[in-house]
Amino acid sequence: MNHQTRVYQDVFEMLPSEENPSPMVRINKMNPSPEFELYAKLEWLNPFGSVKDRAAWAMLRELEEKGEVGNGRGLVEPTSGNTGISLAAMAKARGYHMRAVVPNKIPLEKKVLLKIAGAELDVVNDALCPAPGLGDGSINIAKSHAKAQAKKYAMPNQYENEQNVLAHVRTTGPEIWRQTEGKVTHLFVSLGTCGTVSGTSRFLKGKNPDIKVVAVQPTEGHDVPGLRNVSQLGVSRLFDSSLVDDILEVEFKLAYTRALELCQGEGLLAGPSSGLIYEGAREIILRDKKGFGVMIFPDNIFKYTSNMMKHIPGLATGNEA
Amino acid sequence: MANYAHPEVLVSTDWVKDNLDQPGIKLVEIDVDTKAYDAGHIPGAVGFNWQTQLQDQVRRDIIGKEAFEKLVGGSGLSPKDIVILYGDNNNWFAAYGFWLFKIYGHKDVRLMNGGRVKWLNEKDKPLTTDPPKIAPTQYKVTETHLELRAMLPEVMDISKTAKANLVDVRSPDEFSGKVIAPPGMTETAQRGGHIPGAKSVPWSTAVQQDGSFKSADELQAIYFQQKGVDRKKPTVAYCRIGERSSHTWFVLSYLLGLDNVKNYDGSWTEYGNVVAAPIEKG
Ligand SMILES: Cc1ncc(COP(=O)(O)O)c(C=O)c1O
Repeated sequence: MNHQTRVYQDVFEMLPSEENPSPMVRINKMNPSPEFELYAKLEWLNPFGSVKDRAAWAMLRELEEKGEVGNGRGLVEPTSGNTGISLAAMAKARGYHMRAVVPNKIPLEKKVLLKIAGAELDVVNDALCPAPGLGDGSINIAKSHAKAQAKKYAMPNQYENEQNVLAHVRTTGPEIWRQTEGKVTHLFVSLGTCGTVSGTSRFLKGKNPDIKVVAVQPTEGHDVPGLRNVSQLGVSRLFDSSLVDDILEVEFKLAYTRALELCQGEGLLAGPSSGLIYEGAREIILRDKKGFGVMIFPDNIFKYTSNMMKHIPGLATGNEA
Repeated sequence: MANYAHPEVLVSTDWVKDNLDQPGIKLVEIDVDTKAYDAGHIPGAVGFNWQTQLQDQVRRDIIGKEAFEKLVGGSGLSPKDIVILYGDNNNWFAAYGFWLFKIYGHKDVRLMNGGRVKWLNEKDKPLTTDPPKIAPTQYKVTETHLELRAMLPEVMDISKTAKANLVDVRSPDEFSGKVIAPPGMTETAQRGGHIPGAKSVPWSTAVQQDGSFKSADELQAIYFQQKGVDRKKPTVAYCRIGERSSHTWFVLSYLLGLDNVKNYDGSWTEYGNVVAAPIEKG
């Protein structure tokens, strides 16, 4: 493969790595301090459209290496959308079937995209980011399929799978270290399964223990797919509090207004969890004044037009002749 | 250490595993999410759908005697069987099923402690999608116990006279009236709040992290000491549609041994819709 000419033999060669990092773009108009460099790492430029390409690929490769998929055995996975879309597209391209168990509240776009990517869809009443241990919800429905039909389904289980963390230790962390030439002082992330925060932080703090890792959370009762409120963190197996310096709680509606501002002010078509991360970065920049920050922007806005219409006045009207 | 008043109505997941395929022991799964049974159930278990099989399909009511006989007979149960109920959400609807089996006089009904999730998360416990083999029976109900059920007039009277404990088992936000129903639940009411005089004891205070019930000592401390349920009075439990309150009804009747406990299955979706009924908020 040749990352210079960007000509590839198959889509998997495009997956991000230190040699082929997802791009980092400087925030210009929306940076509140001239002495603080702020960059966004655009994860939607990964081949399947989000940060979850990294975890999905690591989990799938491990199952392949252990011989746990193939011969009629495919995947079942609980997901708020992105992991499922990555996994389904990858699985289908490699010849496995995939069943995605999703909370009813995820945006319609994600449900339809999962089906387009080739997943069989189970929609259940559940919190927006499935939480292990609470109620039953999508995680336990997926576990039921995997247990009752073990010949048909392997379950990667992103909520407990160490590969979800290792993917970021191997790729996201080294990419940022190299792209910033070791100058990074602040990392801004959100928390879902916590794979991104734990893996990236583990690598970067290994390089420089003084790097501050800031996790941004939506307020309780939020409507930001993929994320989890602090009150639910106790049940995230992959969360490691020693790897996080600050947890900020941000009014969840700001996820939508900041995402819109990023679209219109910086030309970055960032999704709601990116909007929330940006708001957290802004607050820390006003506090710390100096530094070199990297925000991991998980995905773009295209899957959230229906959510945006709910939260941004004006988007829902004037769309008909 | 105190013991449960009726420990025989609770079985462990290990006991169920050791007694799979035993003649005379029948398993029934009842879930809030009716997809759960289809995804995988305990080998041999039948699944009841609470919406279509445990409710009268014309008026708002529990199924009548004939419908109950048809349902359980058609599922291969007979009156002598030991019936083990289990389900999702910490046995909410399994407890509702337990209450229904008791209303129709079934002698030996038991709950599997910890419900479906506990079974699912124990490595040695199998699940299957194979349908159970069923030999239908002619099930006959010989006694009914409608005294286990509270109806609206009685609840109104208790609220006025305080002659019985009223226990509201919903979440604090439903009790205060901040929300009318938990997110995603479709059955709701015109008004939020609680029945005047009710004590708030959310159903979940009775269970541990893994979904199994707390010890008798802990339960006594919670209901009698902390929440002030008067054990000398009769008690009525209610929630939104009567499923979470069945869970508390089970705790009060069988684990704590109170002898006059009723489930008000009309619950908030009845009371919160009644014109001119007094409501307390906050
Ligand atoms: C849109 C979006 N943002 C953020 C996250 C959080 O990433 P992680 O699961 O690695 O914590 C996810 C993942 O589920 C996501 O889909």
